[in-house]
Amino acid sequence: MSVKSGSRLPALGRAYLAFCFVFLLLPIATLIVFSFQRNQYASIPGQGWSLRWYQKLFSDGSLLDALQASLVVSPLAATGACVVGFFAAYAIHRYRFRGRVALMLLIMTPMLIPALILGIGFLGLLSRFGLQGELYSVILSHIVLVTAPAMALIQLRLSQMPESLEEAARNLGATEWQSLTRIVLPWALPGIAGGWILAFTFSFDEFVIAWFVCGFHPTLPVAIYAYIVGSADPSLNAMAAIIFLLSCVMLLCAELILAPFLADRRVEAPAVA
Amino acid sequence: MSAVALGAAAPPAGRRRSGGGLVYIVAIGLPAAFFVAFFLGPLLYLVLLGFWRVENFSIVTSFSFGNYRDIAANFWRGSSYGLAIAQTLYVAATTAILAVALTYPMALAIVFSVPERWQRLVILLSVAPFWTSYILRVYAWQVLLARRGVVNGALAYIGLGDWQVNILYTQIATRIGLLHFLAPILVIILYVSIRNVDPTLIEASRQIGATRIQTLGRVILPMTRTGVILSLSFAALVACGDVLSGSILGGGAGDSALGKAPLFANMIVRAYASSTNLPHTAALAIVLILVMIALLLIGFAASERTKIVTK
Repeated sequence: MSVKSGSRLPALGRAYLAFCFVFLLLPIATLIVFSFQRNQYASIPGQGWSLRWYQKLFSDGSLLDALQASLVVSPLAATGACVVGFFAAYAIHRYRFRGRVALMLLIMTPMLIPALILGIGFLGLLSRFGLQGELYSVILSHIVLVTAPAMALIQLRLSQMPESLEEAARNLGATEWQSLTRIVLPWALPGIAGGWILAFTFSFDEFVIAWFVCGFHPTLPVAIYAYIVGSADPSLNAMAAIIFLLSCVMLLCAELILAPFLADRRVEAPAVA
Repeated sequence: MSAVALGAAAPPAGRRRSGGGLVYIVAIGLPAAFFVAFFLGPLLYLVLLGFWRVENFSIVTSFSFGNYRDIAANFWRGSSYGLAIAQTLYVAATTAILAVALTYPMALAIVFSVPERWQRLVILLSVAPFWTSYILRVYAWQVLLARRGVVNGALAYIGLGDWQVNILYTQIATRIGLLHFLAPILVIILYVSIRNVDPTLIEASRQIGATRIQTLGRVILPMTRTGVILSLSFAALVACGDVLSGSILGGGAGDSALGKAPLFANMIVRAYASSTNLPHTAALAIVLILVMIALLLIGFAASERTKIVTK
């Protein structure tokens, strides 16, 4: 897989890559730039730098309230997903039981079918019991949605665990429960941390299910949608810049936690420019 | 991912076939109970809902095919659900092909024209957009593509004012939003499948005297078939169920070669927002599920056919 010089193809490939990165990163860059511009409507040329949209964002409140709601929903949903995902991953890793594949499919499917369908189903069932329209309705439905990625990462981590560890614990007289909490859980921690971040990210971005079940307690994407459809102004760009910063932090955390064990136990030094 | 995680199909010797202890019961019972209650429950309830109806603002639980009769009656007239389904299939298919056609060369370029030690960083950068909010990326495209937006402003600024781009609120814009969502995921899938091609085969084909393009066509493409099919079906599935791109960039009922018609998913959301008739909405959702199952079966059959042909 070496890069041979003397052919124009690699250069062409790099040019194409550059084009792809412009496509991928341009929208994000645009929002960040125009969050610092005076313009009411984003266009070129800009009208000079200003922080007025940040002021408006922090004095306005509706988006901030939604951000607050999301910062309640997503961590709780991610935590729930990690609890359910850890037990599921352990069961699938450790035991051979009837319905093992069914359990896996059951957990993986919510990610594969359109969230729209889940949203309507949740709304129906929750309103049957009068549980719709609250933040915990969103949390509950998000746990179902984001357990899959959490479980997948925890499973990946458990698959790297030497069999001998648990054997040794049991030979030394540990009960099943002790070996689970003192051996398996510490071993799985990087996977759980990575899974938590992934689950948090999915929940934080999820729009459709939240739109159906949240009632009058919009999470951030729901509030943003209302803002776009209503009267978008650049304070949304300011919000976007803040969220992108948060995403970068999450991405870095994920990279630092996941890199060592995703790299197939070949712990590489992360590429740093 | 899970398939990779499961690794060996045969369990190592140390695995217990069954337990019976508390840990065994909790480890299997907790996730199973949770998902039966909160995932299968809503799905089954959705099926039931589709056969019920609303009277005087409350749901009447008597079984009837009324919702489905109404959908059938309005299939090509009135709300024209059929047109929305056709639009969905058209946009999903073209989006899937476009997305794979654009991301496959990208994955190729990462494997073959980026030095090994930089590849991880490049992959990390490609995936970065995936970690940021999808709704904000869609909004950013709206800002870029608006009639007096950033792209047209930039064109006018450099003296190309005659070359205005007016694609916002058409299905072209919808596809751009979907492509932006899909690209990071597809790049990963395709990068991994291209990386898994045995390098000695590539070397061998070059030794025999094949050009790079021939090597791509005769060795790399056939060997990454699974990755391509996975990418195509994933992209089509996402496009079928997506709401945000179609509503914010497509403007709800974006224009396309098939005419001005919404995507089916947008139609469902709008139907609920305007009527809050949950049973009718549920019936529409069931129709969407059936369409997607049909699509998957067709895709599966098609990929089986190509397998026979390529053999």
